[in-house]
Amino acid sequence: MLTINNLVKHRGTQEILSGISFKARPGRVTGFLGPNGAGKSSTLRILLGLDRATSGSALINGKPFAELHNPLLTVGTALDGSGAHRMRTGRAHLRWMARAVGLPRSRVEEVLELVGLTNAAGKRVGSYSLGMGKRLGMAAALLGDPEILVLDEPVNGLDPEGIRWIRTFLRERAASGNTVLLSSHLMGELAETVDDVVIINHGKVVADGTLEEVTGNHFTLEEAFFALTSEHAGDTV
Amino acid sequence: MRAFNAELSKLLSLPGIWLAFLIGAFAPAVIAALDSIAQKDEIIAGVSTRLSEVGYIGLGFGVQGVIILGVLAVSSEYLTESSESSGGQQITTSLTVVSSRLHFLLAKAGAVTVISILLCIVAIMTTVSTTHLILGEYAPAFEWSRLTGAICYWSFTALLAFGFTFLTKNGILPLAVLMINSSIVSFSVLLAKVTKLAFYLPDRAGIEMFMFTSDRSHTPITGSIFDRFYTPLTGGLVMFAWVVVLLMVAAIVFHRRDVAS
Repeated sequence: MLTINNLVKHRGTQEILSGISFKARPGRVTGFLGPNGAGKSSTLRILLGLDRATSGSALINGKPFAELHNPLLTVGTALDGSGAHRMRTGRAHLRWMARAVGLPRSRVEEVLELVGLTNAAGKRVGSYSLGMGKRLGMAAALLGDPEILVLDEPVNGLDPEGIRWIRTFLRERAASGNTVLLSSHLMGELAETVDDVVIINHGKVVADGTLEEVTGNHFTLEEAFFALTSEHAGDTV
Repeated sequence: MRAFNAELSKLLSLPGIWLAFLIGAFAPAVIAALDSIAQKDEIIAGVSTRLSEVGYIGLGFGVQGVIILGVLAVSSEYLTESSESSGGQQITTSLTVVSSRLHFLLAKAGAVTVISILLCIVAIMTTVSTTHLILGEYAPAFEWSRLTGAICYWSFTALLAFGFTFLTKNGILPLAVLMINSSIVSFSVLLAKVTKLAFYLPDRAGIEMFMFTSDRSHTPITGSIFDRFYTPLTGGLVMFAWVVVLLMVAAIVFHRRDVAS
């Protein structure tokens, strides 16, 4: 369970987040939507202890990230790019992570296989395509077989096959009781993957509910999104 | 301990680190060889004034290898991926693997220290064998105390490079400043001509752990700036104090800084 409670973030004089609150529950895929610059990445970075909140809290199973003992076993994350040094091979990247967590090398091969990167594992990350980098990021997130996944724009740059794989994979993770939170600005992809939707705009939550609740009277999630994030957005759903 | 292992694994899987190993392990021997050849006749004739420095000069220069090591250990975390992959950095992965930043910094510092010590031991072995090969029975006896001083000098220098790069997040500035300072002209040695305060600068103080063991100036050219100022132990303590202070500042800045900033 992920609990974001009244999160405020200032950077300089700018207010990036103005009191974000929502939950991502076990057994469900929660989509975190918003236009570019709405504060999605900032929220995820605070949740993962990378940035500090000005006020409010972001908890993982009731604890802030810094208090998790071996975080990779609880929460798997994939943020910008692959998160790997470009001169290192994909396999070497996963191996140092496995060492940090105390996982055997065989687990590295398992996740490489899972994301379809076994053949490219010996190549330098710098030579990977955007989609391969994303797959490496997914492999890293899955390394500790965590109960929670936090993914920033996971389908960005993936080919249709990759997108389909992610969708099926995330649905299966949630079906087995795991928590999945993913951010995206691709409505079409998201509508087919998520159970719950949180939409933010200008650092504020403008909609929070199940996919059906947020879509409401609109024909698609995309229409609902534009209705909610355009300049004359209505009240929170 | 797991975080330390991971940091070792990270460093050893970075291609750039092999340059550090190459410079650290062999540059001292090459310089010692050149110096020994140049001095050979004087040493055999028993008129060399620099016998006590033979070999150690190389160890002084070879510290560049561990400067690269210390800088790379940190700058590799902040290297931005290609713009195509939306500018990710390895530091985000590192900090989602080890939740305590202090823990992360200490594990990294530990890995840098261990590799520096091992690298210096290799450098000592190559340097001592080279001098013996060239000077034979005239080769100076290498004292353990001075060699230990060189090992401390290398690991402290690596940690200074490491701490400095944590503040800049980018390797270019620390690499340029520290490498120029330790190869072409030492800023602090020159400054020591102007003010005695310069003797408290880390490289000037630390180098006394293994150089300038005589109270007299060694050659007319180097003059008084190379005179002893500290005992090897005090020199080492002054340099160590710099390391502690810089790492504390780096830890505080790193702890408070947003990764995104």
